[in-house]
Amino acid sequence: MSDAQQPQPAGTETTATEAAAELAEIQRRQEQVIKAVLVPVWYWWALAAPIVAIGAARDSRNLVVQAIVIPLAVLVMAVLIGAAIPEVRRRVKVHSTPQTDGRLVVAIFGMIVLVDVVIISLAASLSAAHVPYPVTIGCAAGAAVLVITGPLVVWYAHKLMLSQARQQLNDAPQAGGSTP
Amino acid sequence: MSTARFDELIHAPKRLEIVSLLAAAQWADFKYIRDELGLSDSVLSKQLSILESAGYVQIRKRFVGKRPRTSASLSPAGRQAFDQHVAALQRILARSQHDAHAQPVAEADRGISGR
Repeated sequence: MSDAQQPQPAGTETTATEAAAELAEIQRRQEQVIKAVLVPVWYWWALAAPIVAIGAARDSRNLVVQAIVIPLAVLVMAVLIGAAIPEVRRRVKVHSTPQTDGRLVVAIFGMIVLVDVVIISLAASLSAAHVPYPVTIGCAAGAAVLVITGPLVVWYAHKLMLSQARQQLNDAPQAGGSTP
Repeated sequence: MSTARFDELIHAPKRLEIVSLLAAAQWADFKYIRDELGLSDSVLSKQLSILESAGYVQIRKRFVGKRPRTSASLSPAGRQAFDQHVAALQRILARSQHDAHAQPVAEADRGISGR
């Protein structure tokens, strides 16, 4: 068979085994694309570390430490958020629906709000109770929430995109048609 | 909605890999496709050209700084052809399963009428 052969209605020679293998291949490639856009687990640890560093710097009450650690930590986070994600997206962009995108935005936004609420409320409460290192403890708790919820959001994104991809595959045969 | 239509152009193994990858993506970088599928530059270029001339793939070239970046995406016609091909594959599979199920029933029927 020539590589440049034009499309034509055929398929009579294709056995069920070949068709199943071809469908499995299609599914495998879909999963490959989805996995490529998901951030790895280390990403959340790398984001959590600067959060704890900011808290510790704030509690040190040392202006020199704060002047060095806080901008550095913010820079690390900015690089991770602003560069790492677009780098992945520059390679491939998953085919998604507005519904999937909307759900993912809600999940990510919810995670950010949760982390912020944990940090602020815990740090404020501990500070009011005169507990030592309140901001460090608050930030460590927020970082822990991030490390736990980050992979959960990734898992949710993976599940959403995979179910959307499978839905697209399952929708294909519903119209009936002209296969011999 | 698409009708089932087996597509010989997509059926070729390398092109099936490329089209499957692109079907899951809005677009993909040339290097990404090459690395993920383990193809050489020349093989990928050749296959993309074939798909492009069939109207299945759109090639986009742009510059990021001074570096040229090539990306590919499925055209609406390519996406439709892919959906139809998937439908055709699923139909082949469904027909085979139906036949496999129907055969023992027919044999059983013959057994009853033969008594």
